[in-house]
Amino acid sequence: MDKRIKTVPRYGTGFKDRLYLPAIYEGMKITFKHLKDNVSDSNAIDVLEYPEEQPTDITERYRGLHRLTHREDDTVACVACFMCATACPSNCIFIEATERTDGVDEKMPQRFAIDTLECIFCGYCVEACPCDAIRMDTGIFSLTGNAREDFVLEKEQLLAYKGAFGEEKSIAGK
Amino acid sequence: MSTATIVVAVFSLVLAALLALLMIPVLVWLERRVAGLVQDRLGPNRTNVGGFRLGGVVQSFADVIKLVLKGEYYPSHIKMGRWLFMLAPAITFAMALLAFMVIPFADNIVVDGESLRIQALPIESGILWYMAIGAVGIIGIVFGGWLSHNKYSLIGAVRAGAQMIGYELPLGLSVIAIVLTYNTIDFNVMVQWQSGTVLGFLPAWGIIVQPLAAVIFIITLFVETNRAPFSVAEGESEIVAGYMTEYTAMKFAMYFMGEYVAMNTASAVIITMFFGGYQLPWVSTQFLLEHFSIFALVMMPLIPLVVYFVIKWMRKNNRVRETVSTDGGRLFETKVLTIALIAMTVIIELILVYLALQPVGAFSTSIAVTLFQVVIFVVKLMVFNLFFILVRWTLPRFRYDQVQKMGWHYLLPLSLLNIFITALIVVGVS
Repeated sequence: MDKRIKTVPRYGTGFKDRLYLPAIYEGMKITFKHLKDNVSDSNAIDVLEYPEEQPTDITERYRGLHRLTHREDDTVACVACFMCATACPSNCIFIEATERTDGVDEKMPQRFAIDTLECIFCGYCVEACPCDAIRMDTGIFSLTGNAREDFVLEKEQLLAYKGAFGEEKSIAGK
Repeated sequence: MSTATIVVAVFSLVLAALLALLMIPVLVWLERRVAGLVQDRLGPNRTNVGGFRLGGVVQSFADVIKLVLKGEYYPSHIKMGRWLFMLAPAITFAMALLAFMVIPFADNIVVDGESLRIQALPIESGILWYMAIGAVGIIGIVFGGWLSHNKYSLIGAVRAGAQMIGYELPLGLSVIAIVLTYNTIDFNVMVQWQSGTVLGFLPAWGIIVQPLAAVIFIITLFVETNRAPFSVAEGESEIVAGYMTEYTAMKFAMYFMGEYVAMNTASAVIITMFFGGYQLPWVSTQFLLEHFSIFALVMMPLIPLVVYFVIKWMRKNNRVRETVSTDGGRLFETKVLTIALIAMTVIIELILVYLALQPVGAFSTSIAVTLFQVVIFVVKLMVFNLFFILVRWTLPRFRYDQVQKMGWHYLLPLSLLNIFITALIVVGVS
């Protein structure tokens, strides 16, 4: 026989295995032990009592809800270049651009809205952004609302979200 | 017809209906809760009515309300046999329910020299009724799968039908061996037979007298009830949901609940035929009736002990862990339930004291014995339902061809062999 061929022994052909009942007994022993242990002390089960207990293991890499960052002077960092909206695979970013008259930059978004019901949280918008104006580091993983419209986040809301990881104020590029 | 006859008949019927129907939400909850606990999760434990969650069993009632209130959806591609499509789940449900009606919940009660059965349907050919009605339930599944005009539904129905044919044979044949042993087709006589002993000390339960028939019977009942590891007719990993694919809302719930009623019925039949029915091992009804005062004296310290442990367990587990701030009314619930349990114990103790003072052969004693046997039956029923559930969360599903092979190649010859051996022994002994 070729040396590269390895013959794997076939298990489960013995009488005990073919009878199948001893194996069922062994399996039932394990599941029953779990049941017994957990019934006798249900608070020892390692689960999160959500929503009373909130998760503490959200890392910096976690893609949570989006936010828009600011400049040094507290204005919006976005320049309405439409890169994020172009990169978005689910077409959930709606931007209306307008001219910026305060001399800081040439362009800014009049409206910047994300339909979070459409969003798939892929993070392509963050990657596409040339000036670090959109991030997904809020650590927010659950968004609730009573109507569909509640899930369309407007510019003001997106600017108001804080980053979850240490910084006081969100400044683009820092 | 005397008043006693009517009272006993109504009592049995109400008891059977309660045990079959009220058990559905409990079993659905138990299934989900046990699944959770086996997998180191919690399972449904949040739903409550005014802070009373009773371990989460309220969830099942919420589910039922939701299913009843759900919009009725009728698949538009089904042009023919619409009424049968709607009727099919009801057939399965009704047959599972009817099959439960021949189970004896306690031994015959003697009122004014008249022996009355504690059986919703007081017939003597219980096992035949169960076999006949239990097999009709499959028709609902076949109709449902066939009339759905859907490949998956049809495959599910075909599987259910073929599986049924394959396993009805070993089921019937194992029952023949049991009938040979007990020499009766009456469930109640079977239970009475099991109150004796074999080899001098073992209780003469069916599982000890007929171990092979018991194993075959239990396996075939798992198939009959379409439960894991034989749930190939549903097979959600292969054929969406099998025969239930096109069903929604209450029509789906009918199938779903029918499955649990069938499981409950199967447990009851297994208990009745192999685990001494409503009886404690070594203790026959006659013995109980004659020595009830001793028995009451034994029960008196036992009941508070059990209640003490239940309360201790409840106080330990019906609370939130330290990291959770809101209690959600659990403390209040524990308090109320503790008071209720203690009050119940006191009442039972008083009744036991009264019964212990009664002379032998008093009518109150025989009522007490009947109620006691009903309690034993319900406890055994719950244990067996738990066994069914635990098996589901332990074993993976068999492949379809393995199911068929097991039925025809192994169980059928084994049950035939069992009949042969049983017949030899029965003839040899007599």
